[in-house]
Amino acid sequence: MEDYIVEMRHITKRFPGIIANDDVSIGIRKGEVYALLGENGAGKSTLMSMLFGMYEPDHGDILINGEKVVFHSSNDAAAHNIGMVHQHFKLVDNYTIAENIVLGMEPKTKIFGILPSVDMKKANRDISELSKRYGLEVNPTDLIENVPVSVRQRVEILKMLYRHAEIMIFDEPTAVLTPQEIEFLLDIIDGLRKDGKTIILITHKIEEIKKIADRCAILYRGKLVNVLDVKTTSVQDMANLMVGREVDFNPHKNEANFRGTVLTVDHMTVKNENKFDVVKDVSFTVRGGEIFAIAGVSGNGQTEIADAITGMMKIDSGTVKIEDRDITNLTIRERAQAGISYIPEDRQRTGTVMDFTLRDNLALREYYKEPFSKNGILNFDKFQSYAEELIERYDVRSGQGPKTIIRSMSGGNQQKAIVGREIEEHSKLIIFVQPTRGLDIGAIENIHKQILDERDRGAAILLISLELDEVMELADTIGVIYNGQLLKIAPASTMSSHDVGRYMMGVKEA
Amino acid sequence: MNTKKKNRWLSGLLTSEKYSSFTVSVLAIVLTLVTASVLLLIMGKNPARAFLCFLQGCGFAPKANYGGGSGMLSDLFDFLNYLAPMLLASLAFIVGFKAGLFNIGIAGQMLMSGFAATVIVGYNKSIPAGLAKPLVIIIGIIVGGLTGALIGYLKYKFNIHEVVSTIMVNYIISYTTGFFINNKYVDMLTRTSRVCSPASRLTWTGVQIGGVGCKVPLGIVIAIVMAFVVRFIFDKTAFGFELKAVGLNKNCAQYIGVGVGKSIVASMALSGVLAGLAGVTYYLGYSNTIIPKTLAGMGYDSIAVALLGNSSPVGSIFAAIIVTIFQQGANYMSSTIGVAKEIASLITGILLLYASCGGHMKELAAGILQKDLYREIEAKQASEGSGSGKEEKR
Repeated sequence: MEDYIVEMRHITKRFPGIIANDDVSIGIRKGEVYALLGENGAGKSTLMSMLFGMYEPDHGDILINGEKVVFHSSNDAAAHNIGMVHQHFKLVDNYTIAENIVLGMEPKTKIFGILPSVDMKKANRDISELSKRYGLEVNPTDLIENVPVSVRQRVEILKMLYRHAEIMIFDEPTAVLTPQEIEFLLDIIDGLRKDGKTIILITHKIEEIKKIADRCAILYRGKLVNVLDVKTTSVQDMANLMVGREVDFNPHKNEANFRGTVLTVDHMTVKNENKFDVVKDVSFTVRGGEIFAIAGVSGNGQTEIADAITGMMKIDSGTVKIEDRDITNLTIRERAQAGISYIPEDRQRTGTVMDFTLRDNLALREYYKEPFSKNGILNFDKFQSYAEELIERYDVRSGQGPKTIIRSMSGGNQQKAIVGREIEEHSKLIIFVQPTRGLDIGAIENIHKQILDERDRGAAILLISLELDEVMELADTIGVIYNGQLLKIAPASTMSSHDVGRYMMGVKEA
Repeated sequence: MNTKKKNRWLSGLLTSEKYSSFTVSVLAIVLTLVTASVLLLIMGKNPARAFLCFLQGCGFAPKANYGGGSGMLSDLFDFLNYLAPMLLASLAFIVGFKAGLFNIGIAGQMLMSGFAATVIVGYNKSIPAGLAKPLVIIIGIIVGGLTGALIGYLKYKFNIHEVVSTIMVNYIISYTTGFFINNKYVDMLTRTSRVCSPASRLTWTGVQIGGVGCKVPLGIVIAIVMAFVVRFIFDKTAFGFELKAVGLNKNCAQYIGVGVGKSIVASMALSGVLAGLAGVTYYLGYSNTIIPKTLAGMGYDSIAVALLGNSSPVGSIFAAIIVTIFQQGANYMSSTIGVAKEIASLITGILLLYASCGGHMKELAAGILQKDLYREIEAKQASEGSGSGKEEKR
C-alpha cells in the first residue's frame, strides 16, 4: 500500500447521455507533478471538478491523506488545502490584484476600534511578500482589467497559495500563453514542486508533460487507459494512447499554388465601442490558394480584423477590397454575396442559432435565395434535402439528423456544420477564426483537412488562431499581430515558432 | 411502484416533443383550478358551483333565469365580443415575444388606436356603416402600427429597452387621451367619452336571433383570421424565419446579414398592428366608450394568454377562451354566489404564474426520466457484470 496524498477510487460520473468517468482510480504522491492527459471530452476536467468539490461522484471514494472525504462544494475542498486554477479565470475585473486574492478571507481590522473593515494595507503587504517568496512578481494594487493574461494566471496561483493550498490543480494552464510565457509557467510549477506542493496538471499538450511531469495518467473516453512514468515513455507513445490510434503528426500539405490577389486590406483602422483603436493601420493581401495566418495573443485585435472585413464592425478608416471591388461600405449580406465566408470565433454565440434545428442552421446562408424561398415563402423540402446533403458531405453527426436541435450536439459537430455551411458557398475568401478551439484531435484533423482542401481549390484563406501549432502547421504566410498592429508579415517557411512567439510578445526585431 | 409508474407517464407526456406544448398548458390550468378551489373553500364557497357560474356567465351553460330579451345565445355573443380583443392582444404579444421583445405596452397601443378611431370616425355621424367599419379597422392598423414602430425605433436607435419605453408610452398615451376626453369628448353624465356612432362600431347590436337580442361581433372573425396569419408568417415565410433568428440569437442574425434593427422595428410594428386591432375591437366593439386615464387590464391579461398558449398563435385561441371565461363570467359568478369579482383577476394571475413555470415543470419531468434511465442502465450493468460501460460518447 503506497502512501498517497490524493486517492480517487473507482470513480464513476454520468451526465445525460454520456459517462464522463467510468470506474477511474488514481493515486497521487505528495510532492509530484501528476499530469492528466486526454482528448477533449475524455473526462479529465470532470474528474478534477469532483476532486475540487464542484460535482459529487455517482460512485467511488475520494481519499485525502488516507482519509475518506465527501465534498459538497469547492469550499469543502479548499478546507482540505486543495486549490484549482480554472481554464477561464475567476477574477473580478475591476478589483485590484490584492483584492482579488484576499476576497473571501480578507484580513480584518476595526476602524476606531469598533467599525469592522478590510485591512487593505495588510493585504497589499501580504501579497507582496507572498509573490516575492514564490517568484511570482505582481503589483498588488494593479486592477485586473489592466494586466495581461499571464499576470492574471499568476494571480490565480497566488490565490491558491494565499489559501495555503497543498494540492494544486491546473486546468489547461498553457492554452492562453505564448511559448515564452509557457516556459516561465513551467518554471513556476517546478518551483512549487521543490517547495513540496503537489501539482495536478490537466492538459492535452504532450510536450509540456514531457518537460515537467513526473507521472502521467491517460484518459480515453472516460476510462483510465494507463499511468506512465514520463521519463521512460516517448511522446509518440503517449499521443497514440491518448487518441486510441496512431497519430499522424504532420498532415499532408500540397505545394502552394498562388493565384491572383483576392483580399486587399489597406491601412485599415477599427475602433471599438469605447472609441479605442483596436486595429491600427493594418495592411495585407491574401492571394487565391494561400493560407494567410494571423498569429497573436488573445485580445490583440485579431477578431476585430475578421469582424471588420465581414462587416460585423465598422471600419474607421482605410479600405477593404475583394479582387477589384471596394467592399468597405457594403452591408454584411452584400459582402457575403461579394464572396466572403466566415467561420466566427464563437460558434455558439455567433455561428449558430442554438435553438434552431440543424436543418435550419445549415440553411442560414441560403434561406432567402431561390430555391430555398420564393417570393418570401420558404421551401422546406429544399431545406431538408440540402441539410441531408451537407450532413453526408461534411460528416456531421447528430442524434436525429436534420431535425436535431443544434444545442444538443457536440462542439465538434456544431463546428463541422458551420464549416460545411460556409465552405458550401464556394466563396473567394474564407475567414476562419479559432476554427478548432475546444475540439478534440479527431475533429481538428477533419477541419484542418477542409481548410487545406479549400486552399488547394484556389480559395483565399484568412486563418486567425491563438494556437501557434495550428498557425505553424497550416500557414503559407504568417502575420503576427501585437496591440492592434501587424508587426511582421513573412512567408511561413522563413519563421520558426520561436520567432513568431517573440513577435507575439511585441519584440520587433530578433 | 404504482406512483412511480404514474410519475413516468406524466413526465413522458410533459417532455414528449409532440404533446409537451399542450400538456404543459393543461397541467397549468389544472393546477390553477385546484389552487382557486382551495381559495374558494377558504372563503366558504362551493368551488364547483363557482366554476359553473363562470361558464353560465359566458353562455356555455343555461342560467337559472334570464332577463327580458336575453338568453344563453346573447351571453355567448357577449363572450365572443370580449374574446376578440383578448385574442388579438395576445397575438400582439406573441409577435414581439418571438422576436425577443417583451411588449407590455399593448394596453397603451390599444387605447391610442381606439381613441383615434373614436375621434376620427366614431364621432362623425355622416359616414355610412359600409365605409365607417373598414375605416375604423384601417385606423386601428395604422395607429397601432406606428405606436409599435416608435417603440422598436427607440430600441434600435437609442437602445432603450422596450419594457421601459412601453411603460412610459403607456402613461403618456393614457394621460394625453384622458386630457382630450375630459376637455372635449366627455359625456357629462357618465364621465366617460361620448359613445361612438353605431355605424362605426365593429359590433352589430340588437340582432334578433332565436328571439333574443344579440351583439354580433365582427372582431372575432378578424381575430381568428389573424391567428392563422401570424402562424403562417412564423412557420412559412423568410420574414418570420428572420424574426425568430433575431429573437433567439441577435449576434447570429447579424452575422448572416439580417438587418437586426430593421427586424426589431418590423416586429414591433406588426405587434402594434395587432394591438391596434385589439384596441378598435375593444373600444369600438365590445365597448362603445373610453374611460379616461384608464388602461384596459386586457393588455396585461394577454401576456398570460400568450404564455399559456405556449406562444403559439393557434394555441392562444384556446388559452384566450379559458382566460376570457374567467374574466367575462366573473360578474355573474359574483352576483350569484357573492364572491368579489376580483377573484377572476386573481385566477388569471395564478394561471400566469403556473404557465410561466411551464419550462421548469418540463425540466423536472426530464430529470425524473433521466434518473430512471440511469437506474435502468445500472441495473443492466449489475446483471451483466462490469466492463459493459462502453457508452456512446459523441
